[in-house]
Amino acid sequence: MLSEYYMDVAHHSLNKYGEELCGDKVEIIKSDNRMIIVLADGLGSGVKANILATLTSKIMITMLEQGADIKETIDTITHTLPICNVRKIGYSTFTILEIDQDLNARIIEFDNPPVFILRNHKILTIDKIKLLSADKQVWISEFKLEVDDEITLCSDGVIHAGVGRLLNHGWEWQHVAEFLELQSTPSAEKLNRRLIETCKKLYDDRPGDDTTAVTVKVRNPQWLQVLTGPPELKIKDHETVSKFMSQTGKKIVCGGTAANIVSRELNREIITEIEYIDPLIPPTAKIKGIDLVTEGVLTLKMVLGKLKQINLNADEPIFNKKDGVSRLLKLLLEESTHIHFWVGRAINPAHQNPDFPKELSIKTNIIKDIVNELTHMGKLVTLEYTD
Amino acid sequence: MEIKVCIGSACHLKGSYDVIKKFQACITKHQLEETIILKSSFCLGKCSDAVSVQIDSGEVISMEPDAVENFMENLKKKVI
Repeated sequence: MLSEYYMDVAHHSLNKYGEELCGDKVEIIKSDNRMIIVLADGLGSGVKANILATLTSKIMITMLEQGADIKETIDTITHTLPICNVRKIGYSTFTILEIDQDLNARIIEFDNPPVFILRNHKILTIDKIKLLSADKQVWISEFKLEVDDEITLCSDGVIHAGVGRLLNHGWEWQHVAEFLELQSTPSAEKLNRRLIETCKKLYDDRPGDDTTAVTVKVRNPQWLQVLTGPPELKIKDHETVSKFMSQTGKKIVCGGTAANIVSRELNREIITEIEYIDPLIPPTAKIKGIDLVTEGVLTLKMVLGKLKQINLNADEPIFNKKDGVSRLLKLLLEESTHIHFWVGRAINPAHQNPDFPKELSIKTNIIKDIVNELTHMGKLVTLEYTD
Repeated sequence: MEIKVCIGSACHLKGSYDVIKKFQACITKHQLEETIILKSSFCLGKCSDAVSVQIDSGEVISMEPDAVENFMENLKKKVI
């Protein structure tokens, strides 16, 4: 969506302690001209809450996407949700955020904590209009977004974090707002993880409620070009390198042979590091004009392992080490929105030796998996074979 | 004189790190810091004989961490 801007979206949840299912549900649709996000928090916890939240978010996002108006949508929800035997009501709170291609935003809120809107690290207060629908009080606000604005939607688990344990009244909206104002993060993913991880700490690792946050950050697109592996045919080296170098954005070369080729084609010296930052991670190198040069398959394999691990939890990953894996992860996750892989499938004959570790011969598979993990994180990833 | 140790994928797995550490230790021990420049390099093209080591622009030879000490003793005789 929106070639001019990039909507960086991230969402993470903590399940109530002891629950296998989350009672909060996030649905996101990105189409050519707009993006819709629904965060629903089902009544109670566990299976019941999960069903309520799933129905609510799924019905809402489907109807809104088809162009239904908000009253109709709420009516449908009210008449559809199953009634809880214990509480005699069927109920799920929700927050809806719609952003169109010109950055017009509309927020619809029902009983969830008010949305946090941040502009220049300050909370932005927007007037809200009350709408009554099926005796539900719904608040609507409309405004225009700017680049670098951040919007955070959350379930009440966030503002209640720590209640009765570390904090008497929980974290409270105002304090969460102050916390968000103090943060300065390059990506939605990082901000959202930081928020959820803080909640987890306040809950002392035992969340008293399902806790979910969704963060949207309006960003200018940041391109990253990753060249890995030489083309099968040597005659294609020149064309590949010159095409690669003519692209916009930061440039990374992953692979010793590919790096040697880039150095040869550009006639620029390649300087490899001799000091190991981590004995397990092959050292990096420098070529003028390339932002990062690393060894190939082993580094990529470690990057993949780390990405998988990051996608499995809501903790904020820190990459302040200077080894190839950390630097590559930092570029992929924090300094880019659009990532393009240039993959060559030349086979190193020496790697075909049966004594060699298997992982050396499966680079293309590792890259495919990396693409999947990055796409899961909301990055726009494309892959091109250079041969 | 320049000694290049390959740190490409294959050599890394076969112990480039240990080879480099051994070389650094030997250079310090024999006080050869002025004579020998130790460098790393990406693939030297002899992956099946890892860990690859090249002296100046000479032939690429295969090195094991335990062989570094002997190799340096011989080299020292030649250099000095």
